[in-house]
Amino acid sequence: MLSCRDLEYKVGSFHLKGFSLELQKGDYCALLGPSGSGKTIILELIAGLRTLKKGSIIIDGRDCTRMPPQHRPVGILFQDYALFPHMSVYENIAWPLKIRKMKKNDIKGMVENFASDLDIQRHLDRMPESLSGGEKQRVALARTLVIHPKVLLLDEPLSALDAPLRDQSALLLKKVSLTGITILHVTHDQAEVISLANRQMRWNLSAPNLHLKS
Amino acid sequence: MDFFIFALKRKMMFLRKNNTTTRLVFLFLSGILLLFIAAPLLGLFFSTSLPDLFETIKDPQVQESIGLTMGVSALFTLLAGFFALPLAYIMARKEFWGKAFIQGLIDLPIVLPHSAAGIAILGFISRDSALGRLAQMLGLNLVGSPFAIGLAMAFVSVPFLINAARDGFQAVPERLEQAARSLGASPFRVFRQISLPLAKPSVITGLVLMFARGMSEFGAVVIVAYHPMTTPVLIFDRFNSYGLDYARPVAVLFIIICILVFMMLRLLGRKKKKI
Repeated sequence: MLSCRDLEYKVGSFHLKGFSLELQKGDYCALLGPSGSGKTIILELIAGLRTLKKGSIIIDGRDCTRMPPQHRPVGILFQDYALFPHMSVYENIAWPLKIRKMKKNDIKGMVENFASDLDIQRHLDRMPESLSGGEKQRVALARTLVIHPKVLLLDEPLSALDAPLRDQSALLLKKVSLTGITILHVTHDQAEVISLANRQMRWNLSAPNLHLKS
Repeated sequence: MDFFIFALKRKMMFLRKNNTTTRLVFLFLSGILLLFIAAPLLGLFFSTSLPDLFETIKDPQVQESIGLTMGVSALFTLLAGFFALPLAYIMARKEFWGKAFIQGLIDLPIVLPHSAAGIAILGFISRDSALGRLAQMLGLNLVGSPFAIGLAMAFVSVPFLINAARDGFQAVPERLEQAARSLGASPFRVFRQISLPLAKPSVITGLVLMFARGMSEFGAVVIVAYHPMTTPVLIFDRFNSYGLDYARPVAVLFIIICILVFMMLRLLGRKKKKI
């Protein structure tokens, strides 16, 4: 499903070299590494937000290496959620569907479905700034999932949440993974992915040896 | 006497303790500066009689010049926006070789003497220039036209728009643009639906500043077009030909109109907040 081969990327003093990864459909892979090891950059490379120097990225059998981000079948959940502050929760979730020129009624139906799945239907008219961290995350997740990505990239999705919310959110991610979507979850905290991931991978830029556990 | 000195010392200590001295000095200096701005304007208003002002409002030459000034400045501000916003966006988002030089070039009209800017524009549109020759082939003379006035206004005022919009775009987190790209939007859609709406208050401030600066321009405009007269040129012309008393009501009227227009634009540009 997701195949990254020998990725190489350089920005400033950061140099990523020889990063490879193979994930099957439905895999939940945790990419573990300390802060500053370039985990987020790897996600951005897969999403096409940065341009690779070398290597290839193949998603669902299609070579996406030079594909612009808007055409990649990838959804990304940022650590700070990146909700559009000038749009309501409803407009945030509906926005990617509007881009795809879907009919107004279909958009409404889909937004309401996802909102009820993620338990945010009562917040649809609110503005993002008035939401709590957990609510923001669920809105961002709904906005990403609504486009049915083949691969979901999660950037430290649990680290900014308080303990009770973290468990709730982990449960939600588990539920999402059961839909068969391939997930790559980057984190510095191994404990948070123990119950979630079926595969783990350690990444350290200073010693770029990968240890894959299945 | 001793008691008096003692009381004064205590008062000084009290002032120092409460930081009151600094506050008083700052207030005094600020007051002087505010007075420096307000006094000449108030003097101008008080020395103009209402009948004179009404007479000026009815003066067709004044009406025409105000219409020309505001119309040309508004049109060229909007036209400049088409070019200035992409440039401002590039300056906010991209790092490239020679960026500091480009920023210097953008700021250049602010530091140039405006009469020199007028001479430069005149050279650009005169009959000897390529643009002037092209216009002449079409039977147009650019020198002394509203087009020349607009160019002169835009030349001196466009840095205000570019810089304000650049600051606005810079304040939009790049993360939001990245999120929008990954949700399926093209770079142009991201600009139109994410970056521009979020930078809107700064862009409107820039447009208002450019419009205001263009409207009040005298030095560059008077060189490229004495006629048709913009209001700043008309004020100068009346002062030069008839003296202060004839120039003053036009100046007062123009100031009132400027203040009204800017209050209106500020109100329109105020961000509506949803909860």
